[in-house]
Amino acid sequence: MRHTLTLLLGGPLLVLALAIPLFVTDSYILHSIAMVLFFAYMASSWNFVCGYVGQLSLGHSAFAGVAGYVTVLLFTQLGVTPWLGMLAGGAFAALLSVPVGYATFRLKGPYFTLTTIAFAEILRIWLENTDDFLGIPLKGAQGLTVPPVGGSSFLAFQFDGKVPYYYIILAMLVGVMAATALMERSRLGFYLKAIRGDRDGAEALGVDPTRYSLTALAISAFLTGLGGAYYAQLFRYINPERNMGIDLSIDMAIMTIVGGQGTILGPTLGALLLHPIGEMVRATIGGSFLGLHLILYGLMLILAVIYFPKGIIVPLQRLLDGRARKSASRKAAAKTDALEGKGQ
Amino acid sequence: MDLLTLSFAVINGLLIGGIYGGVALGLSLIFGVMRVINFAHGSFLMLAMYCSYLLWASLGLHPYVSILATVPFLFIVGYFVQGVVISPLFKRERALVVEPTSALLLTAGVYLVVDNIVLMAFGPDVRSVAVDITYESIFVAGLPINLARLIGFLAAIVVAAALSFWLKHSEMGRAIRATAQNRDAASLSGINVQRVYNVTFGLGCAVLGLFGALLVPFFSITPNIGLSFGIKSFLVVVLGGIGSIPGSILGGLLLGVFESVASQFVTATSAAIFSFGLFIAILLLRPAGLMGRA
Repeated sequence: MRHTLTLLLGGPLLVLALAIPLFVTDSYILHSIAMVLFFAYMASSWNFVCGYVGQLSLGHSAFAGVAGYVTVLLFTQLGVTPWLGMLAGGAFAALLSVPVGYATFRLKGPYFTLTTIAFAEILRIWLENTDDFLGIPLKGAQGLTVPPVGGSSFLAFQFDGKVPYYYIILAMLVGVMAATALMERSRLGFYLKAIRGDRDGAEALGVDPTRYSLTALAISAFLTGLGGAYYAQLFRYINPERNMGIDLSIDMAIMTIVGGQGTILGPTLGALLLHPIGEMVRATIGGSFLGLHLILYGLMLILAVIYFPKGIIVPLQRLLDGRARKSASRKAAAKTDALEGKGQ
Repeated sequence: MDLLTLSFAVINGLLIGGIYGGVALGLSLIFGVMRVINFAHGSFLMLAMYCSYLLWASLGLHPYVSILATVPFLFIVGYFVQGVVISPLFKRERALVVEPTSALLLTAGVYLVVDNIVLMAFGPDVRSVAVDITYESIFVAGLPINLARLIGFLAAIVVAAALSFWLKHSEMGRAIRATAQNRDAASLSGINVQRVYNVTFGLGCAVLGLFGALLVPFFSITPNIGLSFGIKSFLVVVLGGIGSIPGSILGGLLLGVFESVASQFVTATSAAIFSFGLFIAILLLRPAGLMGRA
């Protein structure tokens, strides 16, 4: 049933997403839609570990930031193409995630959450106060800019219009969903769900919770890192506050939780719902009211936790299931009618 | 570092540490009774500080006088937040749908709402209250002790003692302790658990109302100041053992001294790294806290 829903919703959405640049020419709107996809991607990457293990990490922005810095520095200092830089950054984030995860996955609930915040904040504060690290110009709170190469250059990850950026993030989003779907059916997916359900029980059955949580975290950190690198390239600018502040982590977590954690489509649904609200508020009345969109995020989070603890994907699923069941029973009824008709 | 600087740092650390302990009291109480980690704890402190600031800026009230308003206001806010936002979770929990991170998420939502309402109302500017007491110091053995900090420190100890006494000897205190021990048994004995929760949460926030007003004379405020206080409070509570009132003060003193001495070696902005580092170290080495049961 879950996969029918993924296909039923995901298929048309993908077709729509592919076609959008054909009829949306306004670059601001296209940029906004690309940002929705970006947040859907980030939330999905977060979901890859947190949604399935059932732990709330608010430190994922560190992976995004670190990978972004690696990408930008490799490009500006050594001239390495951001495409490779992205992979290097993702790998670096995955590497970083192993000691962090090893330390934190022994903790539960709020302990885990606050420790992930502590890790991310240490990294952010250190970056903000470090202008130069072993000869690498980090430039502290000021951040780094990516110098424009002039015009579009695929190798430099710089394009004139928004369309290439749009398709890149769309491809990344499809990629992370495919990875999640694969993981769900793999041994890793079953182990993670077992750990989420009953950690001690899983351990008693021979599933090593730390090992499998760490594997998932490393993959999640890698994916988050790719997203962080993309973010830095899109704006050609990176700084500790924006690219690795706690706000980014909170966005990823809220979108996933509101959408439905531990599902393939949930995080994207959450991003589709929340980001446009945030963007609209910012564009219309938000200019004079700083932070209004975050108030709405907070309210949505509260409402979701109270009314849809498993995310808005659940009522949606129920709706579709109900319809499927109705049509199935109608078909069955028709069949019996036909049979009875024959019998007479 | 010479001895004078060190002893100054230690004294300053003790003073601010006592205040940390006082700020953490509410978090510890709420967790001890309700098993809820209030992610918005620091935000409520920030709210109290803005209330005190507002009363000073508009009516010219001295922050210490504004306590008369901030404490009841924060009690009402806490009572309301628990009654409206958090209690549905407990009602659902009774139906055996227990989600361990739900309460954290819920209060994280409250944190976002409160922080950003204040941001919307006051903007991101740094604000401070200018009152005489900020600059007054008394000298003990040749060392200057800032009066405002000393008052905050003493208040923390008095509040901790009063809270302990009240929990032990009052009717409501007994009900709160009974609920903390066993919610269902308390309910069967005729205790209105919902009300106990509301009062506990309100009380935990009311303490913040007091310390918000006490902090304002020497602490500049911004709308995002809450989170770092919240995390520090959590650290204090972990250090002292969750649910323990004297532990909270002791944990606060420990953190205050540690932070104050550590910040002698680095710039003020990077000093926060040490608190976070200490936090991680404590959780890894002794997840139950220094004084908590393993």
